[in-house]
Amino acid sequence: MGKTLDRGVEALARLSAYAGGLVLLAVVVMTCISITGRTLGGIAPALGPIPGDFELVEMGIGFAIFAFLPWCQLKRGHATVDLLQPRFGRRMNAFTDFISDLLMFIAAALIGWRLWQGMLDKKGYTETTFILQFPVWIGYAAALAGAVVFVVISLYCVGRSARLLAEAAR
Amino acid sequence: MTNFEIGLWSFPVLLALIFLRIPIGLAMLAVGFLGNYVVTGSTSMMLSQMKHLVYGTFSSYSLSIVPLFLLMGQFATLSGMSAALFKAAEAWLGHRKGGVAMSAIGACAGFGAICGSSLATAATMGQVALPELRRYGYSGPLATGTLAAGGTLGILIPPSVILVIYAILTEQNIAKLFVAAFVPGILAALGYMACIAIYVRIVPNSGGVQDRLAYGARFRALVAVWPVMLIFVAVVGGIYGGIFTPTEAAAVGAAGTALIALFSGGLGLGKTAQAVLATANSTAMIFLIVLGAAFFNGFLALTQVPQHTAEWVGALALSPWIILSVVLLLYLAFGCIMDSLSMILLTVPIFFPIMMVLDFGMSAEDFGLWFGILVLIVVEVGLITPPVGMNLFVINSMARDIPIGQTFRGVFPFVLTDIIRVAILTAFPPITLALVWLIY
Repeated sequence: MGKTLDRGVEALARLSAYAGGLVLLAVVVMTCISITGRTLGGIAPALGPIPGDFELVEMGIGFAIFAFLPWCQLKRGHATVDLLQPRFGRRMNAFTDFISDLLMFIAAALIGWRLWQGMLDKKGYTETTFILQFPVWIGYAAALAGAVVFVVISLYCVGRSARLLAEAAR
Repeated sequence: MTNFEIGLWSFPVLLALIFLRIPIGLAMLAVGFLGNYVVTGSTSMMLSQMKHLVYGTFSSYSLSIVPLFLLMGQFATLSGMSAALFKAAEAWLGHRKGGVAMSAIGACAGFGAICGSSLATAATMGQVALPELRRYGYSGPLATGTLAAGGTLGILIPPSVILVIYAILTEQNIAKLFVAAFVPGILAALGYMACIAIYVRIVPNSGGVQDRLAYGARFRALVAVWPVMLIFVAVVGGIYGGIFTPTEAAAVGAAGTALIALFSGGLGLGKTAQAVLATANSTAMIFLIVLGAAFFNGFLALTQVPQHTAEWVGALALSPWIILSVVLLLYLAFGCIMDSLSMILLTVPIFFPIMMVLDFGMSAEDFGLWFGILVLIVVEVGLITPPVGMNLFVINSMARDIPIGQTFRGVFPFVLTDIIRVAILTAFPPITLALVWLIY
């Protein structure tokens, strides 16, 4: 059971990071096409930049970053000051890991909940982007997918560090 | 307690959390959130801000440059250009005393031109240069010290992720910052090479030499690195010439390095997936800190701590140069325990307004550029100072037979050149600014 859960969670975080990576690559390709179009537009008026390219970049990167958060949390990739780690001993370190993961879960849940509310706001106002006239709430909804995975992964991390803490306390 | 006092008390609380190994970004977020609650007496303002703050931060156009530069750096590590750069540098420098180590520095500088991250530069060049250094009999301390120090060139030489963050925080022109970083970056590389030249003369048998190459072979080796030059010119030149925005330049750079990697066969599906995961990791790490800093600085602004501190420092009637020196020394000290990005995001919003009220006899814009470069250098020193200098550990993990204490010792002369360089750049601002004046 435990092994299946570990593997499933890892696959979920990895999938989320890949999704963000694909969108990031798409942003790269789209931007290059847009620049080419803009440059050639001076020569051949039929060509031009991709309309609303800045808006696409913002939306794409916004999604990608939310989608990257779970992977970093699962792999303990966040920057910490480890100066005192060797002095703390096993139990204290397991304890601070647990507190960190718990705080991260609270933050993730808070971020996800507020993002949901923000999305409902944008949907209520039927706000659209300036150039593409694209509904803003859809960007929020895409980000929410990453935010939900982040909540799931950080909850798993709380369980993981709790288990390690229990082992260290024994 | 007044709001100002609450603001002041938040610092020891934040530092305590950070030293307890709570992730830095998370600690800033938590203290910012709770501090805001203590000051305003309710969470309603924070909660309503949060509906759009997080998405707004993550989807900001100016910050979108960060993941793109990180992706570019990842592709650069797969491009095989590190080996070509090292070969080219060896062709020109390898026959000198300490030449192989100097070549490693030269190659790091070249790699820094397509990679904006110190760790990636140290790791990539380490893989290529470390075996070669050992083969020519370079001692453990010198070999690992050289590569750890060389890695910092990844960030000193534009493009640089840290400079981008500084530019956004202080509303400086990214293109001008990149131009300003150029001469100090070259000076860094030359300083490291001089350091090696002195080292091998003082410590006998610490490094061997290669055969001198004919000029034909030298130029052929140099020509092999044309893709690096092309990408550097396209990215930095494109921003400077106004052909594209910095974000677009980063996308072009990512595409360019991806193409080189593709043609050199380094871009298989597995490698690409790894590059994406590494980008995901560092992007999420950076943006959590950015988000935490947004919360914390929002709270600090509420308590007026930066404003009052700036007034207080202004009233001290000390020479601005003394205050600047104190600030730089603080960065050096903190760099020993904290990573550069967290330090920039945590301190620049507080220090920058203070420094702006001081009169250094230059325009506000010039000051912003000059101060940015000085801060960039001092925080980067933190990457090669024990006990938590990340570059040291990255390089040391590749040379298992060398004890970490030897690496600490080997990097010391390089740290010394860093400090000398900061002193010189502080005393003579035109060294940094002349190229900006010339070009703009």
